[in-house]
Amino acid sequence: MTPSRREILAALFAASAASQTAASQSPTADDSVAIPGKRPMILHNDRPEDLESFGAYFDAWVTPVDSFFVRQHIPRPAPIDPASYKLTINGMVSAPKDVSLADLKALPQFTVPATLECTGNGRAFYTPKVPGIQWKRGAVGNAEWQGPRLSDVLKLAGMSEAAAFVEIDGADTPVAQTPDFVRSMPMKKAMHPATILALKMNGDTPQIHGFPARLVVPGWDGTSWVKWVTRLTPQAKESGGFFMNPGYRIPRIPLPPGTPARPAELEVIEGMPVKSSIMLPEDGTKFAVGPIPVRGIAWAGEEAIERVDISFDGGSRWQAATLSPQKLHFAWRLWHVDWKPDGPGYYTILSRATDSAGRVQPFVPAWNPSGYLWNGIDRIGVTVEAKA
Amino acid sequence: MRTRLAWFAAFALAAAMAADQAANPAADQTTLDRGKKVEQTTCLPCHSLRLIHSQRLPRATWDRELTKMAGWGWSAKPEDRAALLEFLAANYGDDKPAAPPDKSADGRK
Repeated sequence: MTPSRREILAALFAASAASQTAASQSPTADDSVAIPGKRPMILHNDRPEDLESFGAYFDAWVTPVDSFFVRQHIPRPAPIDPASYKLTINGMVSAPKDVSLADLKALPQFTVPATLECTGNGRAFYTPKVPGIQWKRGAVGNAEWQGPRLSDVLKLAGMSEAAAFVEIDGADTPVAQTPDFVRSMPMKKAMHPATILALKMNGDTPQIHGFPARLVVPGWDGTSWVKWVTRLTPQAKESGGFFMNPGYRIPRIPLPPGTPARPAELEVIEGMPVKSSIMLPEDGTKFAVGPIPVRGIAWAGEEAIERVDISFDGGSRWQAATLSPQKLHFAWRLWHVDWKPDGPGYYTILSRATDSAGRVQPFVPAWNPSGYLWNGIDRIGVTVEAKA
Repeated sequence: MRTRLAWFAAFALAAAMAADQAANPAADQTTLDRGKKVEQTTCLPCHSLRLIHSQRLPRATWDRELTKMAGWGWSAKPEDRAALLEFLAANYGDDKPAAPPDKSADGRK
């Protein structure tokens, strides 16, 4: 019997479907999960919450709380009653003590505008693929953080001058035998006047972002910004524990892509690199001929953004983008270009930032086994079509 | 013409099946079903499955992830671990297309 065309198509479909069952096998794919207080977000994980912001949300210098990305390692703690909140300060101090929220509010309050970026933002762009949340561009936000300086908080218990590090623990607790989220920081950064124990974010106290009290470590990776802080311990040495070692370390000596880490050559991530991202248009968008707004963000860890250059021809010619006015260390700058394409065609658009220390965003960031610190020159492609 | 198309279709189907078999010789449907069940019963207590299904990793990396999870309190019988690894490699291998991103609903009041 000669098969009909329908049978042939069915066979071809079966052949292609045989290797494409993955998407349909996610039992959660059709669930509608709403995260209280958040706009629709890219949902990497809903328990605990790992939420990425859409490119369209990056239209304001201060990212509203409802659009701000979320990264939880372990489930967040039950909401903390501000009246019963206690911060324990112990270790190398003359007078260990528990401090209340009122005590923290009685200290001089400072407002620090600073960009917070997940250490793994951009992990999805690394080749070969590495395990971890496959963030693209949106695990970053810029907020106005307010609270006392960490140095003033530590003085409340009479910190010893011999302490070289401070260990920070939050109220979140592990599940099964996952490690607790505990970090430490060198005293030099802890004493920096811009390092604060934030009691507010854009004037609000969102529990999902670590309030009533979270650390703000301007210019350093998100992992350093411990949430729901309940203990500070000045000490002589760096802390151990998974989230200090091997977690959140990168090779001191660059490795060929795909190579396993050499534990003895890993070092703790501190300040973040220079970076820019193209937030609009979205990669793959099609336009009719006409002006196209192109915009994004640029930030540089502890440095300030000096300039952002954009190319619309894959990197042959570059032009300076217009930057938002505030040129601050620790905080991002928005950039934009009103682009008028020459005519129809496919365009590769690139963005490249330069910072106040002269660092320039690289073509190829150093590969690392955990996919941290992606800061490659950003790249999207768009198609401009002739008007019908 | 029809016969030639039919042969081509049959060949394409056979080739696709052979490719699956070659990449993954042990993965029969019973094993995959078992792996899926293991995933639902042993991974879910700590995190949603989205965390897994949004990734595309080589088999060796999934294997290392299971070892990492075992260190964090995940436990499974050796046959269950093997079935889960087959399930992950067959569905979420780095040869599979990237997962389309999930989107949460509006959570503002």
